[in-house]
Amino acid sequence: MSVIEVASDLYLLLAVLGLAASVQYAGLPILGQGAFVAVGGFGTVLLAQHGMPLGIAVLLSVLIAGAAGYLLALGAARLSGAALALATWVLAWLVQAILIAFPSTFGGGQGLTRSTPTHLVSPWLGVTLTITPVAHLVIGALLCALALLALWRMDRGPVGLELAAMRSGPGLAASLGVPVGARRRSVLAVSASLGALGGAGGAVLLGTIAPTDVSPLLSLQLLVAVLLGGSLRPFGPVLGFAVVAALPHLADAIASGANVPQERMRGALTALLLVVALAARRPAGALLSPVISRLQLRRQPLPGTSTSDRALTRVVNTDGEPPLVARNLTVNFGAVHALDGLSLELRAGEVHAIVGPNGSGKTTLLRVLSGAMTPAAGEVRIDGTAVPSGQSTRVRAGVARTPQRTVLLPGMDSLSEVSVGARAAVRTPGAGTRHLAVTPQSRRDDEQLTAGASAALHLVGLSERSGLSTGSLGAGEQRLLQVARAAATGAHVLLLDEPAAGTTPAERRRLIAAIRNLADRGVAVCVVEHDMRFVGAVADRVTVLESGRVLASGDPATIRRNPEVRRAYLGDDVESA
Amino acid sequence: MSGGVFLQAVITGLAVGIVYGLVALGFTMVYALTRVYALAHGDIVVGSVFIGVLAVLGSTPIASTPSGMDSVWLVLVVLGAGAALSAAVYAVAMRPFIGIAGARAADAVGWVTGAIAAGLAIREVLGLVFTREAYAIPDALHLSALNGSGVVSLPGDTTVQVRFFGVFVIGLIVALITQQLLMRGKLGLALRASSDDPETAGLLGVPVERLVLLAFVVAGALAGLAGLLDAPGRPLSLDAGVILGLKAIAAAYIGRLGSLHGALLGGLVLGVGEQLAVAWPTLGAEYADVMPLALLVAILALRPEGLRGHVAEPVE
Repeated sequence: MSVIEVASDLYLLLAVLGLAASVQYAGLPILGQGAFVAVGGFGTVLLAQHGMPLGIAVLLSVLIAGAAGYLLALGAARLSGAALALATWVLAWLVQAILIAFPSTFGGGQGLTRSTPTHLVSPWLGVTLTITPVAHLVIGALLCALALLALWRMDRGPVGLELAAMRSGPGLAASLGVPVGARRRSVLAVSASLGALGGAGGAVLLGTIAPTDVSPLLSLQLLVAVLLGGSLRPFGPVLGFAVVAALPHLADAIASGANVPQERMRGALTALLLVVALAARRPAGALLSPVISRLQLRRQPLPGTSTSDRALTRVVNTDGEPPLVARNLTVNFGAVHALDGLSLELRAGEVHAIVGPNGSGKTTLLRVLSGAMTPAAGEVRIDGTAVPSGQSTRVRAGVARTPQRTVLLPGMDSLSEVSVGARAAVRTPGAGTRHLAVTPQSRRDDEQLTAGASAALHLVGLSERSGLSTGSLGAGEQRLLQVARAAATGAHVLLLDEPAAGTTPAERRRLIAAIRNLADRGVAVCVVEHDMRFVGAVADRVTVLESGRVLASGDPATIRRNPEVRRAYLGDDVESA
Repeated sequence: MSGGVFLQAVITGLAVGIVYGLVALGFTMVYALTRVYALAHGDIVVGSVFIGVLAVLGSTPIASTPSGMDSVWLVLVVLGAGAALSAAVYAVAMRPFIGIAGARAADAVGWVTGAIAAGLAIREVLGLVFTREAYAIPDALHLSALNGSGVVSLPGDTTVQVRFFGVFVIGLIVALITQQLLMRGKLGLALRASSDDPETAGLLGVPVERLVLLAFVVAGALAGLAGLLDAPGRPLSLDAGVILGLKAIAAAYIGRLGSLHGALLGGLVLGVGEQLAVAWPTLGAEYADVMPLALLVAILALRPEGLRGHVAEPVE
């Protein structure tokens, strides 16, 4: 391999690492990285041809690509993963179509050329620098090393926690207060910028860029490199790219042996690699995960904070309106009234249980209160102010919810899992950047995060499990962990959806203690639960729902005596039990 | 733009558009039932044509009018190849990643990448056999023979190929019949249920496996027909499939995504719009691909539920 080939591959690797930020870290399916490489390459050559100094041309085209990535994410904020994949795939073909459609600007099939090697002339300093292929090799290697370092550092910082939550699903991430849209935008902007930088470097190195160099096939090959890397961060994509970089050589050898077109053989092998990458994804991940978890450094609970829960203490204003007031909530599924003008108050320091038969609207109510669902009518007031729907909005306002089914982030230890929630409590602007730059403040951020997470773990009695992988916990402990994760957000209104499901009696006692502890500190806790003994043990107030309406509400003893409730719900319960 | 040129663009656009509409119909059908994008669909259109040519005429076809027997075989093989390719793409590349009826969560990265890999495989493997840049495909339906000269005169000394009338009429009839038949069978019931309310339909267990496979088979046969209608008009490259497929997706989005009528209508609107842009003095042929793709990117970013839509895309 020549120096030029290696340098060119390093620039492509830079584009792969950029793509990894979106695909591997944030879990966003981006199928159009080649489009950003094209913007960088064609942009640099075009701008330089129009008399712009090379450095400025590179910078400007990288900025344009970054802005394009940002705008794409802005537009795609509402898109599901599949629609985002489609949009980026169309973008790859759109850029290709534009390059071919306007030959007077982009040089048609031949593309654009500029003279190599590049001489950088500085009239002020009176020096001329020549960027030789070896210089490109060094620049490319440095840029890749920097990108790897940044990715590695990001993964272990606050942003890494948020991206891990996004990988598990935007819904879960939003329920933990992660600003999903903002993260998507910055991650896509970073991906696009690094892609463009790689494209610019390659174009300057080779002195030529043609549409076939940045075809949608390239987008797929870059994606294959990231997918082959599996969940191995940050070096997986490097290994994946080594396979992809070898592909043209292999394809050309086979093609000349079998006397078939080289381009076709490259495409066919890319398709094969895509299938291999998909097929190998899960088993390979499973195979490597023990190794990976050993490679990951454990954060140890800080001494002195692990047994303290001061970090969770909240000053709650008990004057005036209760922390959460819902009025006239109405949700219809077709002709079914899931919530039929329902009103409800959650008071500070009170555990409020919601019970009712299946389909009575309990889970829908929690979804509306947590902002995951917008009601057709009615409003939710938090601390006296109407707060619009949207899960991360509600988390910022201090309302957090646990999911009904246990959803944990794969490959995390308990402390990190809870830290994702704690991140919402200590959210400060620029924390991610500070962490990347290793500022003293970032260390304090980290300590605060760990302290909050440790306190939440202590609350549910899982301090001893903090270094263990969440997958190794029992089902009941995982339920407790979910409660800790939600509590770590610092919410003063907690919505717990069947927290006791799957717990052992001992775990249930821990859960009851934890919930009482939270309430004693002024948190308003709302519990949806089937287990009436659990409700009796934990609740200050019980509200019975039927057909989306409040059938009765009061303290547990009164509710147990209510004849209507006995007929509609408890009687039911006795029969079925 | 003179009246003749305008008329020419509209007629050409309707013929091009009905092809988009047929492909979009299949895409929409699959989407309404399963909420997945049939991203290999464009490659199935072109791939089935080349498979038909390979089977009947060999790997070095000549553009002469095929004999009667060859024509019949071509039509049958292309339609069959379309259906078979579509079913195979579903079974091999997408099925493993789709959660049917909520049994397990769909893996979007999986089926998107699987479908694109399948499309890539179709064109690249056929490209190992068909090595030239583009091929003139014989007209198996003999639509150019509708009149003696093969062209129809329009006002203002302009002409339009006579086959475009045939393409439009055949495409429209087949599309409408398909819709009618679909709406009567179980597939139609499932389609209506899931396009009205995908969640409830999923809960009722409507999209059973066989219906999904049937949808892919019907969509594949429609793709084959689209290929038969479209291919003879111009030199056909194996790589033309992807853009054709993406234009069909644009058509489906222009109509309400998930609506069969909307897909057909969207195809016609897109086809006519594209041909008008091509004929427009200040635009031109270079916009034929750029415009629909840019439109699709814009729709996806601004109105992901489709232009006429009201059903919000569920965010996973």
